[in-house]
Amino acid sequence: MAKAEVLSRLYYDVDVLVALTWREVLKWVRRRAVLLVSISTPVFWIVLFGKSFNITSILSLPAEGIEPGLAEAIRRVLAARVVELFGTIDYFTYVATGMLVVFTLFQSMFGAVGVVFERRIGYLTRLLASPAPRSVIFLSKVLGTLFRVTVLSALLVAVAYLFGLEVKEGLTVSDVILAWLVLMVLGMGLSSLFTGIAFNVNHQEVLFALANLINLPLMFSSSALFPREQMPEWLQVVARVNPLTYAADLERYLIIGRPVEDPLAYWAYLLAVSITLTIIGYILSLRGMREV
Amino acid sequence: MKPVRAEGLTKVYGEFTAVDGVSLEIGRGEVYSLLGPNGAGKTTTIKMLSTLAKPTRGDAFIEGYSVVRESREVRRVIGLAPQDLTADDEMTGWDNVYLQARLYGLSPWDARRRAREVLEMMDLYQVAHRKVATYSGGMRKRLEIAMSLVHEPTVLFLDEPTLGLDVQSRRKLWGYIQGFKRSGMTILLTTHYMEEADFLSDRVGIMHKGRIVAEGTPEELKSMVKGETAYIEPLDPLNLEEVKKALEARGFKVWLVGPRVAVEMDSSGEDLPEVMKAIEPFKLKSVTVSKPTLEEVFVRLTGQKLDESEEEPLDSFAFRRIVRGVRR
Repeated sequence: MAKAEVLSRLYYDVDVLVALTWREVLKWVRRRAVLLVSISTPVFWIVLFGKSFNITSILSLPAEGIEPGLAEAIRRVLAARVVELFGTIDYFTYVATGMLVVFTLFQSMFGAVGVVFERRIGYLTRLLASPAPRSVIFLSKVLGTLFRVTVLSALLVAVAYLFGLEVKEGLTVSDVILAWLVLMVLGMGLSSLFTGIAFNVNHQEVLFALANLINLPLMFSSSALFPREQMPEWLQVVARVNPLTYAADLERYLIIGRPVEDPLAYWAYLLAVSITLTIIGYILSLRGMREV
Repeated sequence: MKPVRAEGLTKVYGEFTAVDGVSLEIGRGEVYSLLGPNGAGKTTTIKMLSTLAKPTRGDAFIEGYSVVRESREVRRVIGLAPQDLTADDEMTGWDNVYLQARLYGLSPWDARRRAREVLEMMDLYQVAHRKVATYSGGMRKRLEIAMSLVHEPTVLFLDEPTLGLDVQSRRKLWGYIQGFKRSGMTILLTTHYMEEADFLSDRVGIMHKGRIVAEGTPEELKSMVKGETAYIEPLDPLNLEEVKKALEARGFKVWLVGPRVAVEMDSSGEDLPEVMKAIEPFKLKSVTVSKPTLEEVFVRLTGQKLDESEEEPLDSFAFRRIVRGVRR
């Protein structure tokens, strides 16, 4: 193929990708009710869940019958242990950062539901009869999800900040960008996988059931909501391989300064898992798009 | 080079052969109708021609491109309005058409210009800003066709374009299709409405059980049926065989069509009294005489009436999707 031909084909592919991704965005923004719900859910989650489980207040219980000096010592020891586990004295701060990861997971699943609906309303037929490459159709779904994740997590952080999220001292712009990239890498893998599954499923119920089967265990066996160190040992093993753990720990490392052993190794692991999931999801999608 | 040429297209699903060696050629600017009941393989044929299903055997060439090996090139030159409604009903008519244009690589500016053109052509421009969910059945079908035309295809596939429409909307749609033909488009449509095939087509292929059993202009096909056909339905279905024998005894060509006995007669009217005499002893429910129509041709070729044919297993949701919004 001549160079000009390759270029014009690439130009066309990118152009179609832009158009299809724009459609995803348009659909999300136009469905006001869905938009409102998907925006308010994370807010409720962090505010209610994060604020109701208040370690700070547990620690400040009046220690009756104990010598004041000793009570103060116990409090300090406990506080030190909490900071060691959570990286902060405030559980809200801990969970708000973990929630970024959980919402990436859930948005990836919701995004894929659209694929099943498009098959059912017949739109997929039209899409597949057009010259749009299959890879571009797949990619537009993933990019649509990444866009939603970006908007929602920005909102989540803003609300969390209003409610008392304690960011680390000296937070830089590059920390924020890296924190966003963590979500993008995780979201790419997860939404690829769910999109791939969705292209092979005829009923959205199947997808929801599957998602519940995958999502909840994935969420609770990671460090997103609770620190890995206080888990029973067998669960720690699961948490160690769970990509959500790595994403959540990296978020905390970047935003609130909770240390991780080796950030680069965390990045490497997260990238490796995400790329694997993306490949699996892509292959599954091609399989599902073969015939309508 | 013919814009559409199929060579032995075959599609096998498991044990079931949906399309069995279909070969056809359509000339430029020609309207060709595949006529047949549900389950005859019309939709599967269109799916293969539009690259949505891979032929098990055989190949087809659209503007010279193979549907098997050059599917991307084929997709560029064809317009497809599938049987199902495919527009996104949460979006406006405009958004649907505009996005469709963008899918074919039109720049945003060209896409807007072209969207306006096709919406005006299909008389939808006035309602383009409304969500598709608010459209009537006829409007939705017209939108489907508008979406198929944005990239100025030279070959247009219309799968059951008027399914579920009332007579008035159907006639209106026929007018548009005639317009496309005048503009030089090559059109393949499927239908199980006889009068639709008769009215619109230059040539008709009658499909039955995955094969094209007859092909020709509507006139050629109708001339296959000589004279008229009388349909006699005895009151008691058990008398069917006896009625048949009585007529055969008088030398008529007779066959069974569902609960009726069909008799071939010459059109001069001399045969009718003879037929009436033969069936005098029986109590009858009805006697009808019909002139040669495509329907008659179909009955002669397949021994079935078009609307009596076996239904393909259609899942109920798919059926609702087809008629959703069309019958409201």
